[in-house]
Amino acid sequence: MKPCIALTKGRVEKQFLDYFKALDYDVEPLINKGRKLRVETEEFQFVFAKGVDVTTYVEHGIADLGIVGEDILAEFKPDVYSLLPLPFGHCRMAVAVEKGKEWPNRKRRIASKYTNITKEYFRQKGESVDIFKLEGSVELAPILGLADGIVDIVETGTTLKENGLVVKEEFHQYSARLIANRSSLKIKRDVLAPVIEKFQKGETVS
Amino acid sequence: MFLPSGSQDEIGQKITNRSKAYEIFKNVTLSRNYKQITTPVVEYATTFTNKYAGMELRNMLKWFNHEGDIEVLRPDWTTAVARAVGNQNNSQSKWAYQGSVFRRDKDGMESRQAGIEIVHMPTFLGESECLLTAAAYLNELNINDYLVELGHIGIFNELIAPLNLTEQQIDQLRNAMHDKRRDDVYQIVANAGRKDIAEELTSLVDAYGTSAMIEEYEEKWQHNQQLLSIIQHLKRLANLLEQLNVEVIVDLGRVKNLPYYDGTMFRGYIKSNGATCFSGGRYNRLYEQFEQNISAVGLAFDVDVLAEHIEEADDRIKVCILASEDTHAFAEKHRNNYPNAIVDIQYQRINLDRFDKVIEVVEENAQLKVVEK
Repeated sequence: MKPCIALTKGRVEKQFLDYFKALDYDVEPLINKGRKLRVETEEFQFVFAKGVDVTTYVEHGIADLGIVGEDILAEFKPDVYSLLPLPFGHCRMAVAVEKGKEWPNRKRRIASKYTNITKEYFRQKGESVDIFKLEGSVELAPILGLADGIVDIVETGTTLKENGLVVKEEFHQYSARLIANRSSLKIKRDVLAPVIEKFQKGETVS
Repeated sequence: MFLPSGSQDEIGQKITNRSKAYEIFKNVTLSRNYKQITTPVVEYATTFTNKYAGMELRNMLKWFNHEGDIEVLRPDWTTAVARAVGNQNNSQSKWAYQGSVFRRDKDGMESRQAGIEIVHMPTFLGESECLLTAAAYLNELNINDYLVELGHIGIFNELIAPLNLTEQQIDQLRNAMHDKRRDDVYQIVANAGRKDIAEELTSLVDAYGTSAMIEEYEEKWQHNQQLLSIIQHLKRLANLLEQLNVEVIVDLGRVKNLPYYDGTMFRGYIKSNGATCFSGGRYNRLYEQFEQNISAVGLAFDVDVLAEHIEEADDRIKVCILASEDTHAFAEKHRNNYPNAIVDIQYQRINLDRFDKVIEVVEENAQLKVVEK
C-alpha cells in the first residue's frame, strides 16, 4: 500500500510543493487537485487538512506521515514522532503589544490562539497571566482593549505593523516538520525509510 | 441522558470477544503456573505518584476522601500488583491479572487489560517467560499477524552517563529521543560539549528495524562492555522468539514511556493496523520501595485491541422455537434437542429470517409436537 501523507493546507502546502518538487517528486496531481482533499500520485496518497487535523490523522494512523508547523506540535503535543525540521514555514512565536502603550503593572491579560504555549511561556517566566483564547485576528485584542498583549506567530511582521503592534519579546523559532505515526514508522519501515531519507537530505542541502 | 466524554456503552460481539479474550488468558496463564491476583479499583494516589512509580496525577481519575487523601481509580496494574505483593514474603513468582485501568490521557477513560507480573526470577528466564506467555496467548487467540519489538533502557542511560546533564536536561533529551526529534537530540548533547555522543545518540534515533540491526550494533559496541552485554541480551531474547517463529523488530533508541521501567522493554504490534496489543518490560526499581532488591518483569495486553482482532468464530446454528404461553414449558424442554445451537423461544413471528431454522410448537390430537417451518 502506498504511504499516506497528510499535508497542512494553505501557506505550508505551497511551500511544501516547491520543496517536494525540488526532491524530484511529481507534484502535478497535487497542483491541479482543484478542491479535492484526497489525491493519489504514483507513489503516495495525499490528504489535505488543517494543521491540527494533520496531527490527528497521523496520531491515529490514518496517515503515515504528515507535514505540519512546529507551532501546532508545540501547542497540541500530539503523540507522534516529530522526525525532522523542514526548510520552510519559518516563523517566530512572539509577545506583541500596542505601540507606545505601557505594559501594565498588574496581572496581565494575554490573547492568543496558542493558549498552551502562552501558559508555558509565562509559567517559565514566573508570571501569572489571564489568557483569552481567540481563533484568529488576534491583533485586534489589544487594540480593542480585550488584552494587554498577544502571543502569536510572526513571519514578516507586516500584520503587526499595520495594526499598530510591536514585538515585545520573541521566544521560539519554528519551521514546518515531518511527523510520523508511531506504529507506521516501525511496521512500514521499508516504504517509509527511503522517503524520510530523501526529506532528510533535502533538509541539509537547502 | 448523556455519557461523559470517554465513557461508552457497548453491545454484542465486542463483549463476547472480550470475554473470550479474558477466558483464554485465564486458561493460558493457569496452564503456565501463574496465580491469579486482583487489586481494588480504588487506591490511594500516592501508590502511583511516589518517586518509585512516578506516574502523573493529572492523568488519573481522582477525588478527595473524607480524610483529605486523594484516591484514584486504578490507573495502572503493575504498580498496584507491586503494592499488593511487594510487602509479602510470598514464594509465588508468577502472577496474572485482568481488569480495567482508568486514565484521562487515553482515548476512552477506561481500558481493559490482562497481564502478567513475574518476580524473583532470574533475568533471562523471567523475560523469556513473559514473552513466550505473550506468544502462547496470541497463538491461542489465533492472532498471528503481529510482531514483537525489543528495546532497552540501559542503552540511553549508558550513552548519556559521561554528559553530566541535569535532571531537567535528561528529561528534555529523553523526550526528544521519545519523539525521535533528531535535531533536538543533537543540539542538547552538542551543547553539553560532546559532539561524538551527540552523533551516536542521533544515529540511535534511526536504530529501529529488523533484528538484523542487533548484529550491526554488536559489532559497533564491541569495546563497550556495558552496551555489548545489553545488545547480547537482546540478541538472546530475539533468537528465542525467532525459534518460535515470532517476528522480532528492535528499537535501540527507545526510551522509557513509563517512569518505572529500568531494563528490557517490549511491545507487540498488530501488523495489519499498527495497534499496540501488549507492552511491558523490566521494573526491578519499583520494588525498591518495599526494600526489596528483586527481579521484576511483566507485560499487559490491551484486551480492547485483542477483542477487535478475534475472528468471529461462532458458527453455531440459530434456532427459533415458536411457542405460546401454554406451550412455553414444552418448548423449553425441546430446547435440549439442540445442545450445540443458539436457541431462542418466541411467541411472535418477528425477524424470523435471522434464524437458520424455525420450528413451531403445535397441538395435534391433544398432544404437543414441533413442526419445522
